[in-house]
Amino acid sequence: MSSLIIERPLPHGGRLVERVIRDKEVAKKMIKGCPTYEIKPTLHYETGVPVRNVYREIMSICYGFFSPVEGSMKKAEVERILKERRLLNDWIFPYPLVFDISKEDYKNLGVEAGDRLVLNLKGKPFAILDIEEIWEIEDPEQLAHKTFGTPEDNPEVVKEPFNKKHPGWVIYRSLQPIVLAGKYTIINEPKFKPPFDRFWYPPRKAREEFDKRNWRTVIAHQTRNVPHVGHEFLMKNAAYTGDVEPCHGILVNAIIGVKRRGDYPDEAILEGQEAVTTAGYIKEDRRLTTMCLWDMRYGNPLESLLHGIIRQNMGCTHHMFGRDHAAVGEYYDKWATQILWTEGIPSFGFPKPPTDVPYGLQIRPQNMREFSYCPTCKEMAYSESCGHKREKLSGSFLRGMVAEGVQPPAIIMRPEVYKVIVKWWKHFNYPFCNEKYVINKEKELEVDLEDL
Amino acid sequence: MAYFIVVLLDDKRFAKIKGTELEEKVQYMFGGELRCLNVEVSEEMKDRILKEFDTARIDSRGAITDVPVAFLRELFNQVVEKKDVGAAALEGVLAKVDEIKELAAKESEFLPAPEIEV
Repeated sequence: MSSLIIERPLPHGGRLVERVIRDKEVAKKMIKGCPTYEIKPTLHYETGVPVRNVYREIMSICYGFFSPVEGSMKKAEVERILKERRLLNDWIFPYPLVFDISKEDYKNLGVEAGDRLVLNLKGKPFAILDIEEIWEIEDPEQLAHKTFGTPEDNPEVVKEPFNKKHPGWVIYRSLQPIVLAGKYTIINEPKFKPPFDRFWYPPRKAREEFDKRNWRTVIAHQTRNVPHVGHEFLMKNAAYTGDVEPCHGILVNAIIGVKRRGDYPDEAILEGQEAVTTAGYIKEDRRLTTMCLWDMRYGNPLESLLHGIIRQNMGCTHHMFGRDHAAVGEYYDKWATQILWTEGIPSFGFPKPPTDVPYGLQIRPQNMREFSYCPTCKEMAYSESCGHKREKLSGSFLRGMVAEGVQPPAIIMRPEVYKVIVKWWKHFNYPFCNEKYVINKEKELEVDLEDL
Repeated sequence: MAYFIVVLLDDKRFAKIKGTELEEKVQYMFGGELRCLNVEVSEEMKDRILKEFDTARIDSRGAITDVPVAFLRELFNQVVEKKDVGAAALEGVLAKVDEIKELAAKESEFLPAPEIEV
């Protein structure tokens, strides 16, 4: 065997976190006599519209997507993350994750450290939180600024101060003041509704699926979008990397949760990605569409770090990163993610790339530039290869075309993908996420629960 | 960075500018698959548009996108009326900003889906 062969990395932190009780009798015993709290969505601090639901974080933690994180963070852990993006056990991690409640709810619950709290979802027992510490967020605005950085503190990549136009900043600004810190355990596994159910590959299942498919090397593709042909070419070409041969698999991992107005509905994103494969543009045995529950923070380099963690935990060997990765607006340098993965960002605690620091990641970045249409080559061309004048493709431009009722030419969007958009457009009477979609989605969620 | 807004031209729209000086400004994109006019946007005008329409964003090409469909329809009307693909047309659009916002509010609830088989 060649010494150049790349093996599948271990989960971040060395072992996969799995905190799911599947025996209902055991679960019933675990919650007997415990106080109960119904999970509520986080509401925008000004408008009252849902911006996050902590159930998604509980799912992603307990099924191991965020390994080695095991629960809601203690104050010291949040402070360390904000200072150097590390957990208390030294492993790197980008964001504070907390279970926050209002002062009124805290008073009514009357819980203290050492108590076990049953977390209900849609009126049914869902998970438990074993409270280890209770602390208070004194200034959520400061927390939001520290989470994403400022031009003064992080001049390498932060270009503009964050504000209420940034959806991730709004999530942290909208947190309730009391944090119940401790480990989560799911005691009643939610059932995903169609179409989400067929895209649910938590890390253990993803790794087993890679084994079944004989995928040793797998490159991850982050998405929150219905794919256009530029994305398709990015995937196809990035996958030529690998070790002694191109990557065996392409893992599309869609982030499912609250989105920006104007993004596509989650259902269209998943089925649109799937259509690229079912229509044969990339063979089914080479590409798998999956999802992870997370209300996107749009934190560009920080979000890329989380993406690296999620996909390493799923068993990927490589991760493709492009321009403006998981970004919104012009808060960060458009190449901030690639700067992180090639040089590091010292002010965020990375004097070297996250793969080169102790307790860092093993997944390999594949930093890509752009694909656009070349009228001379008459094909999608890579910016670093093609010497002609090209026409840039952008998701926003395509959204405008779709909204005006113009079917994009097949050279920029596959007709099968467009049909998926129209299918869900007819279902929701709207092609994109709007207020109605977000409010209804946060009421219905992606899952249902049975009685315990 | 130079900013612009793309006005897409389907057959019906193209018929309205055929034979006028605007026809010379028509651009063809994606190997001739799409016809359009590019309306030039100044820095100051870009800021005004972003301030008025909170869904608006600037894409990697410098194009202002995600403005309401009503904005784009009015922009085409103004381009035809003023025979201009720059400041005059945009000023004409922003003069009707309240009307556009009223229409846009309805757009955020409903847009008719194209009649294609899915």
